Amino acid sequence: MKLLRTENLTRYFGGLCAVNDVDFELVSGEIVGLIGPNGAGKTTLINLLSGVFPPSSGNIIFQDDDISRLKAHQVNSLGIARTFQVVRVFKKLTVLDNVLAAAVDRRRLGPWSLVAQAILGRSWSQAARDHDEADRLLEFVGLASYSDELAENLPYALSKRLEIARALATSPTLLLLDEPSSGLNPSELNDQIEIVRKINRQGVTILIIEHVMKVIMDISQRLIVLHYGKKIAEGSPREVYQDPEVVEAYLGGETHVEYR
Amino acid sequence: MNPRVPIWLKWALGAAALIALPLVVRDRYFLHLLVTAGIFVLLASSWNLLAGYAGQLNLGHAAFYGIGAYTSAILATKLGITPWLGLFAGGFVSALFGLMLGVPSLRLSGPYLAITTIGFSEILRLVAMNWVQLTRGSLGLYGIPPFTPIRLGSWLEIQFRSEISCYYLLLVLVCASLVIFRRLIRSEFGLSLESLREDEIGAASIGVNISGYKLAVFTISAFFAGLAGAFFAHYQRLVSPDTLSLGETFTILTMTMLGGLGTLLGPVVGAVLLTFLSEGLRFLEDMVKLDVRMIIYGVLLIVTILFMRGGIVGLLNSLRGTGRAKD
Repeated sequence: MKLLRTENLTRYFGGLCAVNDVDFELVSGEIVGLIGPNGAGKTTLINLLSGVFPPSSGNIIFQDDDISRLKAHQVNSLGIARTFQVVRVFKKLTVLDNVLAAAVDRRRLGPWSLVAQAILGRSWSQAARDHDEADRLLEFVGLASYSDELAENLPYALSKRLEIARALATSPTLLLLDEPSSGLNPSELNDQIEIVRKINRQGVTILIIEHVMKVIMDISQRLIVLHYGKKIAEGSPREVYQDPEVVEAYLGGETHVEYR
Repeated sequence: MNPRVPIWLKWALGAAALIALPLVVRDRYFLHLLVTAGIFVLLASSWNLLAGYAGQLNLGHAAFYGIGAYTSAILATKLGITPWLGLFAGGFVSALFGLMLGVPSLRLSGPYLAITTIGFSEILRLVAMNWVQLTRGSLGLYGIPPFTPIRLGSWLEIQFRSEISCYYLLLVLVCASLVIFRRLIRSEFGLSLESLREDEIGAASIGVNISGYKLAVFTISAFFAGLAGAFFAHYQRLVSPDTLSLGETFTILTMTMLGGLGTLLGPVVGAVLLTFLSEGLRFLEDMVKLDVRMIIYGVLLIVTILFMRGGIVGLLNSLRGTGRAKD
């Protein structure tokens, strides 16, 4: 089943076209790798999908809804969660509070209903349920023993996992991972791959930006290659790595230097 | 603290002390200082919700105080509306202005927001100075009626002309407000505010409606500052544009920082401490004929920021070995 598709997705920053006329589809349940050389527009594409900024033109359709112009929090409430290349955990909050903040049922409760609940004293059963869920997620990413630690005290690899737990707490159907393995050592890398696999096995579709070949070849069923904002290839990892255009994008070719 | 003393007993003792205080120390000047401290507890706590928890640097908080004071004062003097209603009218009108000031916060942050809020409060001060028909300009509004007596049956009537009755009224207001602040801070609402203070993009990515929360917290914070202002109007019975001055905001800010920004008790500690400290230093002022208060506030602020980021409460918490400054 089709989960998400983009139509002529384009984003300019001033005169620079960071994402140029990109069409692609995601099918429910798959893990898709998003690759490309530095500056190819991968992060920009994830920012567009998650509503950090709107596209200059083109559309994003998620489960029959056009989400192109929605704000980030609205996109999240429809079921798209994400992590960031440079972690954005809530540093002065505890690990548990980071996840609890995400576990709030924001689809149903806006700021003023939370204010009313707070003043009237909310039901404890609900609070307990959130806790169970948050504890389970921390267990899942292996952070259970850190739950009372401030997030800023976590080592880098663990703060990346905290971001994953936080994203999962919003119960997404689609998870966008922006370089989940950057800055990790080989053993941490394996743990991370395992976590991503487990998330996928629970039925979450995953779009993952990744530079480490091992990770990409290991886990993604399909690859999308961006170069200078354009999609230049798509297919199974094996096909893509044999594509001459992809090889040229990464290693450079004879026509690489253009003269005006 | 001694874990064997049950929590309710501590609260009961604290409450008893606060109730007994004016009966023990029967000095009107001392009571006046207590009332002043109470007003600043409200102001600093409401500013703390906005600046400490939501991370919105509002440098025009005194404007909300002034709006509350003028609203209730004008309603009472021009329209003869009872101060009891004016108290809440002051809060609500101020909340409305809070909502208004919240709008620029949707697009601005950090120093830009701070400058905008200074502008907001200066504009309102100038309006209060110059709209003479309504506010009597720099002369201020005087002859504001005190809170009208409450009749309990035919045999008991509580007057609000004395410091002591105003102290008890304010005690109720402050305690109720602190309970509400505590509930707000320790709820999912408070957690959402903290998440947007920490990282707006991160917070939006987990579904936090940044604009909605900013508007809500500006409104709530302004409501309580307005309430403090309205109370002040009927206590002091004179309101002048000075209530809206930047110096007033600076006092609120210093109290909160000294006590502990982003902690529930910090503003309470800071407000009480600085109110009594600045009165204790009044003799200096007479000696050197200078506004020594502001100089001392400045020094305290710098020392706090350099050596004691979490303020007094933060320092105590870390000495007690609590990792977080939650209370």
